[in-house]
Formats: sequence, structure tokens, C-alpha cells
Amino acid sequence: MHNGMHEYAFFLGCIAPNRYPGCEAAAIKTSRNVGIELLPLKGASCCPAPGAFGAVDLSVWYAMAARNIILAEEMGKDIALICNGCYKSIYEVNERLKEHDDLRDQVNEVLAEVDMEFKGTIDVYHLAELYYDPKICGVEKIRESVVRPLDGTKIAVHYGCHLLKPIKERRFTDAENPMWIEELVDALGAESVQYRNKMQCCGAGGGVRGFDLAHSLDITNEKLINVTEAGADAITEVCPFCQLQYDRGQIEIKEKFGIEWNIPVLHYNELLGLAQGMSPQELALDLHGIDCKPFLDKIL
Amino acid sequence: MAEEKKQPRIGVFVCHCGTNIAGSLDVKAVQDYARTLPGVIVADEYQYMCSTPGQKKIDDAIKEHDLTGIVVAACSPRLHEPTFRTATKEGGLNPFRFEMANIREQNSWVHMHDYEGATDKAKDAVRIAVAKAALLEDLYPKSVPVEHAAMVVGAGVGGIQAALDLASAGIKTYLIEKTPTIGGRMSQLDKTFPTLDCSQCILTPKMVDVGRHPNIELHTYTEVEAVEGYIGNFDITLRKKARGVMTPTEATAKGIVGGGCNGCGDCDAVCPVIKPNPFEFGMKPRKAIYIYHPQVVPLIYTIDFDSCVKCGLCVEACGEKKAIDLNMEDSFETVKVGTVILATGYDMFPIEKKREWGYKQFDNVITSLEFERLICASGPTGGHLIRPSDGATPKKVAFVLCAGSRDNTGVGKPYCSRFCCMYSLKHAHQITEKIPGCQAYIFYMDIRSFGKMYEEFYYRIQDEGTKFIRGRVANILEDAKTKNLHVYAEDTLLGQPVDMVVDMVVLAAAVEPTQNIDPVRKMFGVSCSQDGWMLEAHPKLNPCGTTTAGVFLAGVCQGPKDIPDTVAQAEGAASAASIPIHMGKVELEPYFAQCIEEKCAGCGMCTNLCPYSALDLVEKNGRTVMQVTEAKCKGCGTCGGFCPGGAIYMQHFTTPQIVAQIDAFLLGGEQ
Amino acid sequence: MAEGEWQPKILAIICNWCSYAGADLAGSARTQYPPDVRAIRVMCTGRVDPLFIMKAFADGADGVLVSGCHFGDCHYIAGNFKCAKRMFLMKSVLKDLGIEDNRLRMTFVSASEGAKWAKVIEDVVKTVTDLGPSPLNQLQQ
Repeated sequence: MHNGMHEYAFFLGCIAPNRYPGCEAAAIKTSRNVGIELLPLKGASCCPAPGAFGAVDLSVWYAMAARNIILAEEMGKDIALICNGCYKSIYEVNERLKEHDDLRDQVNEVLAEVDMEFKGTIDVYHLAELYYDPKICGVEKIRESVVRPLDGTKIAVHYGCHLLKPIKERRFTDAENPMWIEELVDALGAESVQYRNKMQCCGAGGGVRGFDLAHSLDITNEKLINVTEAGADAITEVCPFCQLQYDRGQIEIKEKFGIEWNIPVLHYNELLGLAQGMSPQELALDLHGIDCKPFLDKIL
Repeated sequence: MAEEKKQPRIGVFVCHCGTNIAGSLDVKAVQDYARTLPGVIVADEYQYMCSTPGQKKIDDAIKEHDLTGIVVAACSPRLHEPTFRTATKEGGLNPFRFEMANIREQNSWVHMHDYEGATDKAKDAVRIAVAKAALLEDLYPKSVPVEHAAMVVGAGVGGIQAALDLASAGIKTYLIEKTPTIGGRMSQLDKTFPTLDCSQCILTPKMVDVGRHPNIELHTYTEVEAVEGYIGNFDITLRKKARGVMTPTEATAKGIVGGGCNGCGDCDAVCPVIKPNPFEFGMKPRKAIYIYHPQVVPLIYTIDFDSCVKCGLCVEACGEKKAIDLNMEDSFETVKVGTVILATGYDMFPIEKKREWGYKQFDNVITSLEFERLICASGPTGGHLIRPSDGATPKKVAFVLCAGSRDNTGVGKPYCSRFCCMYSLKHAHQITEKIPGCQAYIFYMDIRSFGKMYEEFYYRIQDEGTKFIRGRVANILEDAKTKNLHVYAEDTLLGQPVDMVVDMVVLAAAVEPTQNIDPVRKMFGVSCSQDGWMLEAHPKLNPCGTTTAGVFLAGVCQGPKDIPDTVAQAEGAASAASIPIHMGKVELEPYFAQCIEEKCAGCGMCTNLCPYSALDLVEKNGRTVMQVTEAKCKGCGTCGGFCPGGAIYMQHFTTPQIVAQIDAFLLGGEQ
Repeated sequence: MAEGEWQPKILAIICNWCSYAGADLAGSARTQYPPDVRAIRVMCTGRVDPLFIMKAFADGADGVLVSGCHFGDCHYIAGNFKCAKRMFLMKSVLKDLGIEDNRLRMTFVSASEGAKWAKVIEDVVKTVTDLGPSPLNQLQQ
């Protein structure tokens, strides 16, 4: 804590700063309003993407993730991040290197070449879990920070995969039917809606989007069917990759399969930003593939 | 205890056990080594010492060499100690002058790649055994009388069968059941595979026989409170829970002529309290005064005092029979029996713990036992299978096999529950037969149709049109509007994912030991195996017995099994349990404690240590010394391990013998 | 055994109903483990007199293992509890005598835990090997 604010090294990842910079801006500004200060983490690279890198070469995955963690260790701050994929890489590697001496030694041997050493001195958190944790922020504080309630909107929550699973390597205990992000959404004045395949993957991760786009879109389409059936005005998630898959995905689905969906997709931080009074311009919502206007009309 | 001190003359016999021992260590070297040990007169070896020629070697050697003790280096004494004791006896020696060196289970089988190490260890084991054998002495088993009565705990089909067999053999049998009626799980079933007999129809005659048999004393709504004693002489205290309703016998004993419950049900009609009926898994109501179903044995009502509001309307309705006593309390009775059979059955694993399948989350996901009640003509819907959500008749039903069984995630059970494949085939048949146009889908890993006529039953179900999908169900999700269910699985034979929409799902949930059975089994000294079921004495050679003499197991409490196997095991247990009773006496191994009175200071500490209260302080020749009641002493040695004065002599495990073994190991050996 | 290469001498005293049966089960399953342990059978670990432990170390044992039933499962109700109390006492006596107290170990292996027995042996052999010969043996030399 510093000046009453909980400070964290902000690990940006790739997709948010490159494709949805509004997520980055929202995260920093909205967190400040609930007592969390996100400090820049200089020199951070791609986490690296767990599907694209981890599935191909584990040693590269460990080394690159460790390097990112070390930058935060040098700052003496825990890491906060806003992406499920980054969470898998950074959180899991951090825990595994702390626990397994031989693995840590191997990684440190590689990092020695750039004069870096993993010490295991910090912890890693997803910003959403920090929002939910009453010791850091809590649902009430979120509710109190709202100046423009998202009344009248129905929002479908997509948890994603790497946030909660594998259960044995996560702090969360429920991957079958968690409800805590719904609580965070309801705190904004919106109404979270349940839909049938809530826990299904968006289709992007694990290298699937990169390797077989059509297949990944088929999975996304399944989700869009059920979300629409539940009457949602928008989808929210806590992962820019899921966001990309839903957002660009709807355009690709129209191109490839001729099916038209027009469901706005917003990262939770973007929703929180809107609820805290940030403008659509500040949130760079015009960079979204799917037009957010129908959603914005309901709240502005 | 005091004997003429004869120089020990030990015979050592090393067994090859085929290649089981000879393949991993040098039997000849062990034999040669044995010859060099002090006290060893003859050392021999043979392929199979437990065979007739092998045992004859012992017999001959004793006579030829005037031996005082025998050592056999072979398998575990837990296996063949009795065999070789008999051989020793036939050679003319007291059978307790025999010691075994375990060079198989604890040597050759576990050191298969260290010939030298295993051989050295075997030599040490023989040296240790010889040291003890040199100090063994004549001992005589103690005979105790056996009470001509038995107890069966649990009155499902297993307990019922065991009780009937014991009673027919002329043995007074106490049959104890914790619920208000006998019949157990079998009376909850509709039909039984593979014959498709009506379950209650084939069980009811046995239930009636139990109720009528002059040798069976039936105690329902009763639990075992405490157990004391030992084989032949168990003192068991029963807690007869307060039923609130008197049987005719009980009423007569209280002077009410022509009174007692006759099952008329007038009380049921007026009782204002409605509760779920556990026999129907809550799908049918019952009153606070109730019977589970019309065929209960005994046909006596029971009051659930936790729900009863003591309004007294039932007392009024009962009228002249005066069968109801709202102030009844639990009572206790202690009975003496010779042997006991545990037949406590099973419960279903709480399958809601496997959240991916939606049980207790989605209305139309039910368990197999709930299905049995729904499809049963005497069940809550009169035998019409309906969807809980809307009462509609389903057209597509999915059966999920291995639900919670064969599960290594730590949530379910790792074992196979054995009878679910067969009853799911039966269920599929039943809906195909009863509901025209209804399609059954069985999602399976394997179909285990192992028994007599079981495979043929499987062919039949396949021919009738049930569809089989080989793949574990990964997830079940509900369509919020229709309450239909999406069953997600992989069809592994086609290599394709499946998303099947069905009206209803039946989970073939795993079975587990009856809840809260651990205190009961511990009272009888029965252990449990790794999977939680009660531990048999030997899985192949003694599946009905336990390591506690006089206590036997029957039915699913020992491990999942179907009705034929339960009845078979019950008959086996009854036979085994009747042997000590018919023989009238049983021999206890003479491992008793003895007090060396010259050394005893009379401190009395040992009397507190004995778990069986077998030790007392008595006055003898003006001194206070300890005395052992041999019938109560089980030879555990806890007193002997403690006595600071060395005044306790543990027969066959004496301090000199054990110290000799320790010294032999550590001080003897090739210098 | 190579000349001069020290192999630990470890005595095990195990109860008939649980640990001995568990050890037999390891045998039936052909679970392999090091051969450094020699076992003596007693009916119950309650039989184990502290004298036996002392004698074993005095005779030159490098390690002693006592193994019985799990608490609550003793064939004779509570013999294992009483043994456990004695073992705690013996450990402090050994420490006072300058013998590392982890040379004495009590474990609980049930009749169905063959695999666990093998692990126990491996662990005990490793512990004692790492500690080296008993101080009493070194004194004699």
C-alpha cells in the first residue's frame, strides 16, 4: 500500500494495448477510483501466449514468463493483469517455479545469460479477482464507484477458460458454475443473465484461432446462439483474446458463414469505465469491430 | 512354564516355492548357512514344503533327529503357519515349537533384482527364526464354550438370507435392522436383472419367513450400541429406538388385552404432519406416523419423533388397540451371541458432488434408484416414468454409466460399482417396453455383463433398439425453457463429439458404504480396505470372514456385488458363522499373558493398560500380584511391553525370545 | 555387498494384523524395495517394550522401525496408541544418549497398504543411510 492505494505492477499483455487500448486506459483509470494503483511494468514482453508458445516449446514459455515476472520482482510489486491468457502464463509459471527447485534452476540457467534471476518473491493476480476481493476492493466499493449505472441492460458473462482452470493450479474453487463476475456486473447496475453454455470456451485459445479459424468460429457461434437466446444486450469478459474472438469473430462469422450477429462485446474494465462515467471515446469503443451503439444507447 | 531344560535341537527347512523363492535368492546357500547356526541339527531344502512330501520331511526329521524345534523358511506365516504347525504336531512335537522365516512375501518377491542382498537377508531371517525356535516351549490352546446364538446386523436380502440359514440350522438368531422395516435396497427395486423378476415379489416370501421363523428374533428400528467379549461370547448391547408404537407382544406385556399395532393405518389418516418418505427418495409423502410401504415387515407403524407435534390425534384414532405411546423412549437390551454377521449394505454416492452432471441443479436429472421408484408400480407415480419438471412422459432418455465410479479426480470413487451396467441395461429395457416410441441412450465406458446369463441379456437389450454411445459424459446442461438436457460426450468409436438433447437423464451413480457405518464396524473390530468397504480376512480364500474371530461379512458391505453374489456370500457367512456354534467350543491361540509372581510388585499399572480388562490384582500368599483371566486375554502384549519389572510373560512372544531375535540379527551373522 | 562398503542394519518390529499383512501384500504385488530391513513379528505394537529398542541400538542397529495399525484400527483396540507414547519417550532417551532420534521411527501401515509399506522401507533406508552408521558403532571402532 502506498498513500492508501494498493499498488501493483500492471502487466499489459499484447492484445489489449494493440487492439483494444481502451481496456488498458479503462483498467488504469477505473482501478484508481477503487483504491488500486496500476504501475507501468517497463520492458515487459508478450506473456508469452500459452497456446501459441506453451504448446510448442515449454522451455521458451517458462523462460519468457519468468523474465516478465522478474521485472515485477525488481519493482518489488505483485503483478495485476487483465487477460486470462496472460494469467495462465504469468500466474502458473510463477507458482510452478516457486514450487519446483529443479525447474527453477533450469530456467535460471537460461536467464543467467541476460543477468536475470527468478527469486519467487511476488504474487500474480487478475484484476477482476482483485476487484472481487473485499480485502483489496470488493463488490461494494465497485458499486459505490458507479456514477452512471448501466440500468436496463442485460449482460451475459463469459468467464473464459484459463482464469479458472486447471482447478488444481488456481485459487478459485468453482469452475462448474461460478457467479462472482456476475456479482461484479450487477454492481454496475446491469442485470447479468444466465445462458446455457456459460462455461464453454470462446474458441480462440490453445492455438485454435491461429491454427483452424473456421473451427474456432464454430465454437464462438455456439456461444452466440445461447447468449442471444438468453436475451443479452452485450457480452462481457475478462480477457482481450476472448474479446477479440467474439468481436472480430462476429465479422468473420458473417463473412464465412453468412450468419449475422450484432452483439456488442465489452471487457469488464470497459463496462466499469462506462459505469464510472468515462466516455466511449476515452474507452476507444470505436475501435471495436461490432458497433457498441445499441448498448450505449441504453445507458447514455 | 517350567520345563526340563533340554539343549535345543532345531531342524531348518528352506523352501524353493518353485521359482518364487529359488528364482530370487540362493536357497542352497541359505541351507548351508543354516547348518552352521548354533542349535541346528539338520538343515534341508525342498521345492514345495507345504506339499505332502514336504511336510513329511518335517515329520521324519523330528523323529529321526529327536528335534525340539522346527524352522521353515518359506512364505508368510500368515499363510502357512497353521499348515506347518500341524506337520510339527504329527511329528510328535508340540505344534507351538514351530517358527517361520518369511523369505518370500518379505524377501524373494520384493528383492527380485538383488540376488546377493536377498540371500543375505534370507540368511539373517533364518538365524533370527532359529534363535527364537531354540526358546519355544509347549503351549496348549484354550477351549472356550460358544453361545448357541448368532446375530446378523442389517436386514437387507443379505442379512435376511444369512438369518434364515442360521435359524434353519437351529441357531437362535438376532436380526437387527436400523430402519423400521427389513428388505433393504432390494425392496426399493422394481425388477431384477437378468431374469426381470419383480424384486419385491421374490423378496417378500423371505421377509415373511423371517417375520415368522421361531428361531429369529427380529429387532427393527434398532442399532448396535456396544460390543464386548470375543468369539463364542459376544455381549452386544442393542439400542431399541423409540418407535412410539407397540407391537401386540409389547402391548400384552403392558396388560393391554388385544392391543398393539395391527397396521390398520387409522393413525396415518389423521396425522397432520407431512414429511418426505425416504424410501421413495422424497418423491412421495409420509406422515409423522408412518410405514414405508404396505409390505413392510414387521407391519408396525413408527413415529418420527423429530417431526411429531404430539397432537395426540393418532392416539385417538388408534382407540381400543392403545398401540401408541407418545412418551416412549429408547430402550437398551444386552444379548449374548457366539458369532456375528455384518450385512449393512450401501448408500448411493452423493452424485451432486459431480457438478458437471447437474444432479439437484436440473429437475430432469435423476439417479438410478430414483428411476427404480418411478418405474415401479408401487412407487410414487404408479409405475409411470415422468419428467419431474412437467410430468410429461419422456421420449428420449440418456443413461450415464460410471457416474462417480472409476473416478480418479478425487471427487468420486476409484472403484467400479459393479452392478450399474446391468441395471442400466435393465432400465433401458424397461422404458423400451413400457413407453412405446421412447428411445434409450446408454453412455458407457465398458459394459460389464459378467455374470450368468448377463451377456445374453446385453444382446437382448441391443436387439431391442437401445442405442449405445461409448464415451464418458463430460457435461450436462439444461435448456432453461424446455428443461430438456444437453448431454455432451465424445463418441469414442466414431471419434466425434456428441451434443444430444434428451428429455431426461438417469445417472448410474456410484455406491459407497452405508453412511455412519464406521463406528459400528469398529465396535466389532472390523477394518476397512483402501476403498472404504469392510475388509475381509482374505479376498480369495476367506471373503466372508474378517480378522476378528467370530465376525463375518455378507453382501455389499464387503464390496459392491449384485443380488446373486450377495445371497451366495450370505449363505457362506451363515455357514462359517454356524461352525463354532455347532462345535460348541472354539480354541483360542495360547498367546496369553502370564504373571511371574516372584517378580510382580503388584503396582497394577498393567491392569489399566489391558483393553479387555483381562488383568486383575489378587491376594496370593500375602502378596498383591496380577492375575490373568485367560479367556479374556487376546495376547496383544500391551501389558508385557510395559511391565517395568519384567514380570509379565507373553506366551510365544516372550521377552527372552524377542531379545534373542534382536541379538541374533545384530550380533550373530558372518563375522 | 562390496568389501568395506557400509550397509545399514535396520530392525523392524511389525504388528501381525496390519503392518505385517501390508508387508505381505507388497510382496504379493511384487513391489520392489531395498533389502536392508529385517523384520520381527509381534501380535501388536503394544508388545514393543522400550527395552527392545535399547537392546537393538546397543547391539549396533543403525535404525529401528516400529510399524502398526492406524489409530482407531488396532486389532486390540489401542495397543498402537500405547506404543506411540513409548516411542516418543524412546526418541528423547536416544537424543540424550547422543543417538539421532530419527533413527527410531514409528509408522502406521494397514493390511491393504502394500505400496505404502514399500515407500516406508525406502524412506527409512534413505534416512538411515544419510545419517550413516550409528554413533555407537562408530565409538566401537
